[in-house]
Amino acid sequence: MEVCRSSAVSLREFGCEQSLLSRPDGSASFVQGDTSVLAGVYGPAEVKVSKEIYDRATVEVLIQPKVGLPSVRERSQEQCVRETCEASLLLSLHPRSSLTLVLQVLHDDGSLLSCSLNSACMALMDAGLPMSCLFCGVTCAIDYDGKIITDPSAAQEKGSRALMTFAIDSTERRVLMSSTKGSFSVHELQQCIAVSQKASEKIFQFYRDSISRRYSKNL
Amino acid sequence: MAAGFKTAEPLEYHRSFLKENCRPDGRVLSEFRTTTLNIGSISTADGSALVKVGSTTVICGIKAELANPAVETPGKGYIVPNVDLPPLCSSRFRPGPPGEQAQAASQFIADVIESSEVIDTEDLCIERGKLCWVLYCDIICLDYDGNILDACVIALLAALKNTKLPEVTVNTETSTPEVNVEKRSLLHIHKHPVAASFCVFDDSILIVDPTDEEEKLSTAQLTVVTDEEGQLCSVHKPGGTSLSGEKLQECISRATARQREIQKLIDKVIKSIKTAK
Amino acid sequence: MPTDTKRLRGPDVSKSPSLYFSKPPATVASHGPRADGRQRDQVDIRPIFVRCGLVSQAKGSAYIEAGNTKLMCCAYGPRETERKDETDMKCGRLITDMRFAPFSCPERTSWIQGTQDRDLSLMLQESLQPAICLHKYPRSQIEVNVMVLENNGSVLAHAITCASLALADAGIEMYDLVLGCSMRQDGASYVVDPSYIEESSCSSDRENQGCLTVAFLPSLNQISGLQSDGEMTEATLTTGVRTCIEGCYKLYPVIQQALASTVRKAAPPPSES
Repeated sequence: MEVCRSSAVSLREFGCEQSLLSRPDGSASFVQGDTSVLAGVYGPAEVKVSKEIYDRATVEVLIQPKVGLPSVRERSQEQCVRETCEASLLLSLHPRSSLTLVLQVLHDDGSLLSCSLNSACMALMDAGLPMSCLFCGVTCAIDYDGKIITDPSAAQEKGSRALMTFAIDSTERRVLMSSTKGSFSVHELQQCIAVSQKASEKIFQFYRDSISRRYSKNL
Repeated sequence: MAAGFKTAEPLEYHRSFLKENCRPDGRVLSEFRTTTLNIGSISTADGSALVKVGSTTVICGIKAELANPAVETPGKGYIVPNVDLPPLCSSRFRPGPPGEQAQAASQFIADVIESSEVIDTEDLCIERGKLCWVLYCDIICLDYDGNILDACVIALLAALKNTKLPEVTVNTETSTPEVNVEKRSLLHIHKHPVAASFCVFDDSILIVDPTDEEEKLSTAQLTVVTDEEGQLCSVHKPGGTSLSGEKLQECISRATARQREIQKLIDKVIKSIKTAK
Repeated sequence: MPTDTKRLRGPDVSKSPSLYFSKPPATVASHGPRADGRQRDQVDIRPIFVRCGLVSQAKGSAYIEAGNTKLMCCAYGPRETERKDETDMKCGRLITDMRFAPFSCPERTSWIQGTQDRDLSLMLQESLQPAICLHKYPRSQIEVNVMVLENNGSVLAHAITCASLALADAGIEMYDLVLGCSMRQDGASYVVDPSYIEESSCSSDRENQGCLTVAFLPSLNQISGLQSDGEMTEATLTTGVRTCIEGCYKLYPVIQQALASTVRKAAPPPSES
């Protein structure tokens, strides 16, 4: 398991393990502090006729919470993850097929959506699917003093005034996905985007290191 | 000829309009469709509003019921919003339980209510720990022609402004609630959140208030919710192609302008109802 | 009961404030003029407002407002059947779905369809089917969706009228329009096109109590659907059916006019010059 200790933009200790499941075509587990998500990718595979799209692959994302059945909140997160994946995957290379991404939440200690995004990206890489860019998720919280905390824990999330999660792409560092809670000013939004972009550098570097280390071992 | 071109090459058809800085329905890129509002048309609901944005039609009805407050929040009531996209509104929706889009819309509306603090849930408490109001805000789409989120937020806000709750007292002897129907009072609306939706075409062209067709062909969608103080309540972009900082800034300033327009519209309609009475 | 995970849920139990009204609700008098000023024992239907073609996405649509009863209907199709295993491929299928908005009734109803909705959907289907030339649409289905926005009585009757208008607006071939009318028998007297309170009120346990809804094809002079509940003598029922038919004839010119104006708008007649 790869582990990265972060310094400047403070992210919690994060790590990742790829290909840990044998049945799916690609899998990864991503850990951010105590938050942990396990992802599995199946595909390209056969698609149901009703869901078939004639010129590209159909992406499905399922988020399983730690306990209980998925509810409306999971559904809205699924939509965010699915559309982010759709934007970065080269889906037209696999027309009339299906890609299924299953995310199992192992533990939620804040920044769940960003951890889901990160594990999704690692799993897609592990499955060897063609992508136009990589993406990573960063969560920022603004507390009542106006201070920005990146990658907050559940307790920090609770004590915050606003919470934002962004997906950043690896080519131009632009915002692919944004999901916010609480009210904030335009200036705060821009600050948070800037901080997230800075934090994304670190995560992309980690992606690169862990992949190169993995393949150097294999060869 | 044009109809055939539209069916065979929908994307090219739209591009040929966008090149000229206009859209198939005659709007310029940053123009919203005409928005009409009808408040209080459903007498069985405690508050209701019907909104039309172009041909997209959404109705919101609010029903208030009494319940016990949750143990962890004894001083707060509940607001339960649900968005329904029935097979009635478009042929793309199937009968049965709500699909992903309807569920995501419900969650979005719930997040907007919570983030903007449009209503203080403490106002809904009647007696701490014993009795509170539940506001069921049921939003139904009657005609789906794109930009459902904007229409839902306007319908919800207008319906909340129209909601009148009867006075409730708790009888000290029997500790049962007593409802006085004659004495009804309006809800206290703290903020006026209004949404503005945008679509990104071909990764670069930004259009406002997309129709169903434009939504289908676009590469990304973005919804910005602002209140009257210019604070952002939600910047919702569920994926799609990336957006630069300048474009985002453009969306936000358009959204603040839209907020003022809609708040004016709601106030005007409410005033016209009062004078009609 | 399984929990509904596809909708946002409120508290487990909540009660309508009407249970705790300090004053008892007004009861309906079983004689004298009706609450809305209409006459008892006469074919006095509420004035109706109808409009066609309001929904841009639907093939055909109609909206009807009778007093405070407001409902909307959309027709889609003909399109390919979803159920391929159907044996009769020579004939099209009519699918009906009737739903009440949660805020349509005095008490909030749940999102999940109850048995009442399903019964009404079935009644609607059976009343409309004889009027549609289904043999002209082999291997295809026609969908009719009704949404009740506000329920102030006689919902089924108005849903039938509204649905047939939507089908006509969609250009589905039909033998005739279907009009609906309902009445409530209350002892010796009766009320036509009852409101919600009149429908649900039960004065005392007298005989001859019941509700009757008739679906009628006006130009063919045939009845396509009849639903009656309660206990009525044979003579009352026959006069009741006749009363409802009379009510349908009163609706007919309004519906015809609405349809004609929609057609005129869609294809204006060539100018005289």
